Amino acid sequence: MATGMQRVAINCGGGYVPGLDKAVIGAVLAAAELGCDVVGIRDGYDGLLLPEQYGGEGLIKLDPRAVERLDGSGGSILGAGARTDPFRVRRVNSEDMVEELDRSDELMKIIRAEKIDAVISIVGGSALTGAHAFSVAWKLSRKGLRTVCIPKSVENDIGATALSFGYNSALSYTTDTLERIRSGARDVRRIAVVEVLGYHAGWLALQAGMAACADAVLIPEIPYDLRKVAERLRRNEEAGRSPALIVVAEGAEPAAGTERIGPKDALRKSLAPLSDPRFGEGARVIERSGMAGQAVALDLQRLTNRETVPFSLGQLIRTGMPTAVDCQLGLGYGAAAVRAVVEGHSEVMVALEPPALKLLPLAEAVNNVRTIPADSEFLRIARTLGISLGD
Amino acid sequence: MDQTVSSLTPTGIVVNIQHFCTNDGPGIRTTVFLKGCGNRCKWCCNPETIHPKPELAYNRSKCIGAKACGRCLQAPAPEGAFYVIADTDDRVHVNWDLVSDAETEVASLCPSEAIHLFGEVMTVDQVLEEVEQDAAFYRESGGGITLSGGECLLQPAFSATLLMEAHRRGINTAIETAGNVPWAFMERVLPHVDTVLHDHKLTDPERHKKWIGVDNKRILANYKRAYEAYPDKQFIARTPVIPGVNDGEEHIRSVLAFIAPYKNVIDYQLLPYHRYGEAKYGFLGRVYELEDFERPTPESLARLQSIIDEAFGRTSPTGA
Repeated sequence: MATGMQRVAINCGGGYVPGLDKAVIGAVLAAAELGCDVVGIRDGYDGLLLPEQYGGEGLIKLDPRAVERLDGSGGSILGAGARTDPFRVRRVNSEDMVEELDRSDELMKIIRAEKIDAVISIVGGSALTGAHAFSVAWKLSRKGLRTVCIPKSVENDIGATALSFGYNSALSYTTDTLERIRSGARDVRRIAVVEVLGYHAGWLALQAGMAACADAVLIPEIPYDLRKVAERLRRNEEAGRSPALIVVAEGAEPAAGTERIGPKDALRKSLAPLSDPRFGEGARVIERSGMAGQAVALDLQRLTNRETVPFSLGQLIRTGMPTAVDCQLGLGYGAAAVRAVVEGHSEVMVALEPPALKLLPLAEAVNNVRTIPADSEFLRIARTLGISLGD
Repeated sequence: MDQTVSSLTPTGIVVNIQHFCTNDGPGIRTTVFLKGCGNRCKWCCNPETIHPKPELAYNRSKCIGAKACGRCLQAPAPEGAFYVIADTDDRVHVNWDLVSDAETEVASLCPSEAIHLFGEVMTVDQVLEEVEQDAAFYRESGGGITLSGGECLLQPAFSATLLMEAHRRGINTAIETAGNVPWAFMERVLPHVDTVLHDHKLTDPERHKKWIGVDNKRILANYKRAYEAYPDKQFIARTPVIPGVNDGEEHIRSVLAFIAPYKNVIDYQLLPYHRYGEAKYGFLGRVYELEDFERPTPESLARLQSIIDEAFGRTSPTGA
């Protein structure tokens, strides 16, 4: 067991979720209680590797006073804009050539020089950037950095925990928005096709879609056939239920042999930062996702007699005030992570195994994607409610 | 300088040898793509040539699935580099953060070649053996070998030896370069080159840095020095035309002004932007940033071409 006053750093991996600062607050309050110093590293590890970007203040001293006015809404005091992979830092070398350099050893030295005993990393968040932050944390821990991870994800796709923080808020906000869209579409007798986040896992689409009484929910786990969806809508209408809402997870794919119209890979598209020239060279607005929903809307319009209207909630759901569940979870995760550090743990992730918060080896968390199992009760309920899953 | 190739000749890292190329210099040519580049052009159509070492690539559509195979999920594959997502199809995913340069031998584990390598260490003889297969076409068309990349000048010892030996075997030589190398590298290779195809991507140094990663001061200095140092070589300036980036008349006129004093710059060619390399970004776990960029229109290309033709005293195909 580690003893004495420890200095703990906390940072956020790429991508934000509602209530991100709640985990920071939880860690700071717990540290004060357990006798630790806490500093925040800005934008992942950028605050340490590229301090010049922050006027030399890449580390933020955190104490209860510093966090007392944080409410958890909108991003984080630490920033979640990490774009620098310590293992692959792009630079122009002395030969005036661009190269990618492994600066992880240098980062470890900086961490030691700052007398940081352990790093709490809030990781997860999206299919690519979230997994990346997780992997970086794991690799640094294998280099000897004492690491405790906190899972965040609006898609709830981190397999090692029953609930990632941020998901409940995203679910709540998505459900609320779907309700509004559904009632509006119903009144004008159109079918709204709403794309939501979920590249590998369809939890958000399924649970929000069920809560908003969607007519169909298309998820990555079940390849869909829109002819079956259209048939289900027709039968529902005959039974007196006007179709109004289709929810599509961005990773949903048509079944083999059925065609999709339009661009196929919403995720890659969403990560193309140069995609819209209207906003000036090199500062382009990303057309984040929406392609899966648009494709379904187009095809469905051809298969039904209804006009379809595509929407994409995309990244909108990543911000806003956290729900009570996420406030508790964030605070709990933050506090549990500090407790783990104080107790001498490393290379672990805080995970919810109701009703307990537990520590799991990082090796069990990396690459562990939580998808909807084929025998999920949620799927059974959805089918029982007459919601088409496209199969 | 020793004019023979011994068993001690350097090896190079070759990504691909492409036959019957008609846009990489005079005649029908065999283009040898070398690995490593000091630029990071956002439109790069050969992303597999950027990294200087052999690297793993993965084409998920070729994976036959973990149940049928699963070799990459076991040691000696790097821990966590390959994984399967439960309750989806059982084809393997790659965690690109956990694949390192040192572990390229994992490619040999994959029977379906879904996991494969970009980059192979080859000797001069190995390369020329393949290049010489098309010798008859070179003689008929005035073609030969072209070194490309990546940046072929970043392997100066290998490139120089390869081209020298090609010359010795009577093969015409050309290189494609972006010019961002130390002059010493250029100086070592250019004596063995007949035609130097060289890029002028952007004129403004700041915009050059934004789109390519470095400014163009050294590149232009290298070109100027090369034009002057090798008056007997043929230089062909080229611009990959990217709409919205460098398809303005200003850039074309600026390049024409730069090359005008040098009679050994015999042509200035436009290379229309294309997206043939897009899929390879996916194979390497990278994101193609120019997803929405359109190809230049024939009209815009014709307009720029007419400026070049006028400068070279030619009548353009459009009659302008």
